[in-house]
Amino acid sequence: MTLINLPDFAGDLIADFERLGTTRVDTPVIQPAEPFLDMAGEDLRRRIFLTQSETGENLCLRPEFTIPVCMRHIETATGTPKRYSYLGEVFRQRREGGSEFYQAGIEDLGTRDFAGADARAVADAVAILGKLVPEQPLAVTMGDQAMFEAVVAALGLPAGWQKRLIRAFGEHAQLEALMQRLAKPEHVSGLGAEVETLAKEDEEGLIAHIDGVMEATGYLTNASRSPKEIARRLKEKLALAGTSLDPAKLDVLREFLSLNVSLRYAPGVLADFAESTGLPLQAAVDRFDARVAAFANAGVKLSDITWRAAFGRPLDYYTGLVFEVTLRNDHRVLAGGGRYDGMLTLLGAEENIPAVGFSLWLDRIEAVRGER
Amino acid sequence: MITIALPSKGRMKDDASAIFGKAGFKVVAVGNERSYRGRLEGVDDVEIAFLSASEISREIGNGSIDFGVTGEDLIREGLAEADVRVEFCARLGFGHADVVVAVPEIWLDVDTMADLGDVAADFRARHGRRLAIATKYWRLTQQFFSSQHGIQLYRIVESLGATEGAPASGSADIIVDITTTGSTLRANHLKILSDGVILKSEACLVRARKPEHEGDATVAEIISRVRAVV
Repeated sequence: MTLINLPDFAGDLIADFERLGTTRVDTPVIQPAEPFLDMAGEDLRRRIFLTQSETGENLCLRPEFTIPVCMRHIETATGTPKRYSYLGEVFRQRREGGSEFYQAGIEDLGTRDFAGADARAVADAVAILGKLVPEQPLAVTMGDQAMFEAVVAALGLPAGWQKRLIRAFGEHAQLEALMQRLAKPEHVSGLGAEVETLAKEDEEGLIAHIDGVMEATGYLTNASRSPKEIARRLKEKLALAGTSLDPAKLDVLREFLSLNVSLRYAPGVLADFAESTGLPLQAAVDRFDARVAAFANAGVKLSDITWRAAFGRPLDYYTGLVFEVTLRNDHRVLAGGGRYDGMLTLLGAEENIPAVGFSLWLDRIEAVRGER
Repeated sequence: MITIALPSKGRMKDDASAIFGKAGFKVVAVGNERSYRGRLEGVDDVEIAFLSASEISREIGNGSIDFGVTGEDLIREGLAEADVRVEFCARLGFGHADVVVAVPEIWLDVDTMADLGDVAADFRARHGRRLAIATKYWRLTQQFFSSQHGIQLYRIVESLGATEGAPASGSADIIVDITTTGSTLRANHLKILSDGVILKSEACLVRARKPEHEGDATVAEIISRVRAVV
């Protein structure tokens, strides 16, 4: 079949994927919509092309490849590690560009050498792009969810606040608003004397109280949040009432988020940060440094990579590295990727499968090639 | 010819006619009382279409009518980039309804959207599914949860009626719905989050932004006379 809008370099890409030892997969264009909405949230609904089957199942045109590739991996149960490659059309409404366009990429599932797998993903993306747009200097921006989580943990913040901060990581405005909120004490009111006493003194009593109210008001106690879950969280919340995030810790967090350096200097900058703040970050810094070493081993030029501490993606399955590749001084993202160790279990895999991958935006690459 | 769409039945119809009457535009039906077409007495170049409130929102969005009287909630739910496509000319002081986020009263630990964000984040791990919101307000819910509060991970369960019953029956965990007095919510043991008012809606005179309205005397007069009486 001839696809007239297939980029003319598709054949080279497929040859590259083969040379890299990946298993080429294809997935149906029509996909069940639920996994995409479940993973990425309802926001995606406005951007994907949805329809319903005769039996009422929500279907969509494939908006991306990672989820179908992972689901196929789980279904076929062929074991790990496995490196898959894909090339095909995806369908999604975007701010810039058409709604149907080609993507290609590699998903590395189950490689336990995290640093090595991260480095290989970046190296492969950069090498492929280097061939497709030769003699154009590339710029890689990378972030690290794990490093942010380590800083938040090292600050010794209450667990509830840590989770909130981690959730907002990557969304600058949300994170800033959250930090400002945490700087002010939060009060809990309107509980009534009975509940407040129970929450402080008698967890079992509080659970029984909540259970009783649910029964009396006709709420199912097993369909949604349980009395125990509500009681536990209320206790946590009351323990934090009236406290606020220490301004000194807030400053440390802001200082970390402002770090933005070439990866060559990042290990030194991180070591200085850990030392000057006195935060126990050794394990996280070691992992970061191991990845930098792996990048160098994989032949990635560290001077092409900028580590931006605040760069992340606010979805709960991203767990570590995220990266984007552009031409230097150009905003168009030609390749993007990251580590998503949380995804396969969310999709139903029985064991924890670490995963890292990237996708190439072929329409943008084509545009860039055309401009030369 | 300028077309104004007014609600076709109920209190909204009477209140809209009353406002136009006060503004010196007497609304008269063409043909019998139950006709779906009308005109303004003594004004030749205006016709009235009586439509349902949700149809008005749709028709004004695609520009097939010039003005409409309908709830702000329906416009903002029905149209992407509502402020680019329509002008809210006047708030008419009737049809008040708040679009709110309401959770079971017994969720003693949840009082704010931030609390709800915590609950939504842990939901999948605890219950094997995302937090489910029953609503007919897809767009308003997404904007409020995602853009304003950074909450991405939830699922919308479409509800076309008796939304307030969904949490008790277990078909959803929380709701986004309209309320006027809050009594239906209370009767269903739901509470509005302290920062959970998405929109304070009321009936509005809404104009489709069309280039030909520029400098049109009739358009300008309709707006100024309605504004003068509200």
